[in-house]
Amino acid sequence: MRISCLLPGLLLLHLALPAPASTSRELGARLEPNEMGAGGLLFETADGLRQAPTLATDVEIVVTGLIARTRVTQRFGNPTKDWVEGIYVFPLPENSAVDSLEMRVGDRVIEGRVEERARARATYRKARTDGRKASLVEQERPNLFTTSIANLGPGEEVEVILTYQEDVHYDKGRFNLRFPMVVAPRFIPGTAHVEGFSGAGWAVDTNEVPDAARITPPILDPATPLSHPVTIRVEIDAGFPLEEIESSSHPVLVRAKSANVYHVRLEAGAAPANSDFLLDWRPIIGATPGAALFRETWQGEEYVLLMVLPPEPESASRTPVSREMIIVIDTSGSMGGESIVQARKAVGYALGTLRPQDAFNVIRFDSSFHRLFETARPATARAVSEARQWVDRLEANGGTNMLPALEAALAPGRESRAIRQVIFVTDGAVGNESALFEAIQQGLGQSRLYTIGIGSVPNAYFMSKAAQFGRGTFSYIGRPDEVAEKMGDLFSKLENPVLHDLAIEWKTAGDPTAAGKTTVEAWPSRIPDVYLGEPVVVAARLPGGVAKVVLRGRRGGEDITFELPLEGGSNHVGVAKLWARRKIAALMDSLNEGESVDRVSVEVARLGVRHQLVTRWTSLVAVDVTPTAPVGVVPDTRAVPGMLPRGWNFLKIFRGANIEAAAQDQSRAADTRRSEGTGGPGTQTRPALLAASINPPVARVQIGRLPQGATPAALLVSIGGLLLGAAGIVSRASRGPRAGHDAGATIRGNVIGKGRA
Amino acid sequence: MSWQSESDPRPPSRTRAKWLVMPALALALALAGFALVLRGLWIPAKAWAAQQMIERAWSDVVAGRSEVRPWPWADTWPVARLHLPGAGSPLYVLAGASGQSLAFGPAHVSASARPGEPDNVVFAGHRDTHFATLRHLSPGAEIFVESMTGSIHYRVDEAEVVHESRVDLLERTGRSELTLITCYPFDSIVPGGPLRYVVHASAIDPHPHPPPTSTFQP
Repeated sequence: MRISCLLPGLLLLHLALPAPASTSRELGARLEPNEMGAGGLLFETADGLRQAPTLATDVEIVVTGLIARTRVTQRFGNPTKDWVEGIYVFPLPENSAVDSLEMRVGDRVIEGRVEERARARATYRKARTDGRKASLVEQERPNLFTTSIANLGPGEEVEVILTYQEDVHYDKGRFNLRFPMVVAPRFIPGTAHVEGFSGAGWAVDTNEVPDAARITPPILDPATPLSHPVTIRVEIDAGFPLEEIESSSHPVLVRAKSANVYHVRLEAGAAPANSDFLLDWRPIIGATPGAALFRETWQGEEYVLLMVLPPEPESASRTPVSREMIIVIDTSGSMGGESIVQARKAVGYALGTLRPQDAFNVIRFDSSFHRLFETARPATARAVSEARQWVDRLEANGGTNMLPALEAALAPGRESRAIRQVIFVTDGAVGNESALFEAIQQGLGQSRLYTIGIGSVPNAYFMSKAAQFGRGTFSYIGRPDEVAEKMGDLFSKLENPVLHDLAIEWKTAGDPTAAGKTTVEAWPSRIPDVYLGEPVVVAARLPGGVAKVVLRGRRGGEDITFELPLEGGSNHVGVAKLWARRKIAALMDSLNEGESVDRVSVEVARLGVRHQLVTRWTSLVAVDVTPTAPVGVVPDTRAVPGMLPRGWNFLKIFRGANIEAAAQDQSRAADTRRSEGTGGPGTQTRPALLAASINPPVARVQIGRLPQGATPAALLVSIGGLLLGAAGIVSRASRGPRAGHDAGATIRGNVIGKGRA
Repeated sequence: MSWQSESDPRPPSRTRAKWLVMPALALALALAGFALVLRGLWIPAKAWAAQQMIERAWSDVVAGRSEVRPWPWADTWPVARLHLPGAGSPLYVLAGASGQSLAFGPAHVSASARPGEPDNVVFAGHRDTHFATLRHLSPGAEIFVESMTGSIHYRVDEAEVVHESRVDLLERTGRSELTLITCYPFDSIVPGGPLRYVVHASAIDPHPHPPPTSTFQP
């Protein structure tokens, strides 16, 4: 049955790793699924699996001051003889604002536009049915996107170009940027929905992660060599001379192009897409500005992006406050290899910072969790050394059941100290982010959560959000030799008083008292706590006349105020989009605080359409105007008077022929109706046209499955019946005379018996 | 000699072995066949019986309780009552389209909108038990769904056969509609094929009716 469903020429596209390039010479070769060399697509055809076109990915990043604009070119090719559709899942930075889509077919360029998600999908589906080229970019998670491309003809190549904007992260004197390349396998907790759901996405949808199959592309066997290169070029125009530019993930070549402008590219030209690309740069000493301001006037409104570095405390009057430190270490399977080594080192570092007046505990978790001590214990030398030994023995395996461990870590003990720091060491490979965020918000209390990302592809979105909700910080350790440096940075933050209860006031020049609480809309609306070396970054929409900003906060028990004139600043396209992106992020966060989805989705979709951004509820869609799939009839199927009920006819028309072949794609139904309407009665009389119209998008990527809707009842009864029949035959044979030589083979026994009778 | 005559049971023992083996084999085959047939028949029987038990749980649901498990160890509960034309009695739709709940009734795909919500509500069912009648639905047929959040009348628009990968059919659309999914082809003996039969229906009145009258208001 299964085989009969795979009609010749039908392609089932299996989704694999997010994408990047493959060389064309290996395309089309017959392959076993586990022979896949690297990320890419597998086509299932009648004569076996073939490697599908993957795509070349080129990344160009231009950094101007605090804003980075990135252009990602995905070049899709189709080496097969069929019309296909492809869907690719790929990651982007968690704060990226995707705002443009361009589809290039040959020398034609089709601009995408942002539409409300359902409408964009409908537009795309219609184009797919009509045989037109179309591409659709959707957001699955803030850092996870899919590109779909319909009607990719035999031998054709299509380029999909995405552009996004993000603000560069600044911390402790360094600017840094990340380009994620891999969708790390995520742990999907919850009760599985359907046995039949575990399609090409490897996870089964569960009650906690209903879209699991959408966000879990298959992962290749790590033993196979990775060959899919990504090229990366970065231009940095920092606005001040730089002392150092380096990448902790890849060897890079840096070239000074002109004063303050630098070009960076990969030393190897291209890199396999198996590790995030990281770049950071540091201004020469003394060149770091205390504040930076970018402006844009967009649709008559003024938007600003403001970065302020709060003055550092003059005296490092650290009082030895006793604190409670809970260290949580992820020992799940995804932490295997180098990651667990780094994690152990990081935990070792944290243990080394404990002072006798502190209390501490260590929790490890994978599928289940274990505490080192029943409750937090004073950090005596003996307790610490016991912890060290315990941690050194930890091995990685099992699932990532983070929620119970997180809840246990946040729950204060009976004698908890006033300062409770939860250090959470993980790769964040989880899919149930929102349940975890909720747990953090509800359970935080006096605790502060510091997430430490480990491994080459941590789920940065989860960890930075978790730190945000946990009012702590997120640090990322990419390599074992970075452990000491990054942990050192983190603990210098923890040991210095934090700037909290920050409020920002916008004042007009004329009347500083009647300050503009009025119409300034600034995001984030509540400024997070600022640790040593961190800046305050705010995006705001201003009414005219705002001339001054006043920041107030508390640090170490004293009030701190500082003022900043809002003058000058450089004009920069895209500030408005960054503002909108932050507002959307705040709206999305409000979902975790119990805001209704209905209200948020309307607001987010409105912002997405207005500012042309891809969000959870808006997508980018580009549709070619001319149908390229060989149909050549009126694209609007509804306008053609149907001779048969809509949606059914193809089944009847094709009955007796290859029903499954016909039914495989509803687009063919439309085509059939078209030929009915325009070509007179009887599609059967027009085999040529029909055959042509069957060509359009038959292939489909599997990123999940519809529920399976059949029971094995009929099969069981049939097999049971056959067995009963066989039993009858055997018993008849055995009733025959005793002369059989061969008691082993029942059939022969039967024949002999018959001969005798 | 006596030894040999005593111990000369070889030809008889061989025959006896055959006498034992053949009926034993026949019996084993018969038992296995019987067991399979029984298991095969048990599936529709269970599907039918479960619906009867769920009916009682539903009356508790109507009385205002939620997550009423039809039997204590059930990991699902009725979330809606589905009236399909051509089916004698209404079907009770269970929460979560897991293989387990599908054995007992049509099930609500939890990723889709909740029954009664004016958005895309998706139910899945087995083509050879509860959803066997789907093949006879024709455009214009009316479907009625009762749930705790409201009851909606739908009218069938179209049906299509799709590949199992069309998970986009489970998504919210912003329109009040009902999507019913079952396996295809209907008469196949072997389960687990990659095709699905999908019926699309739109709400006749986009505004849900108030929930069914309850005998108990908390």
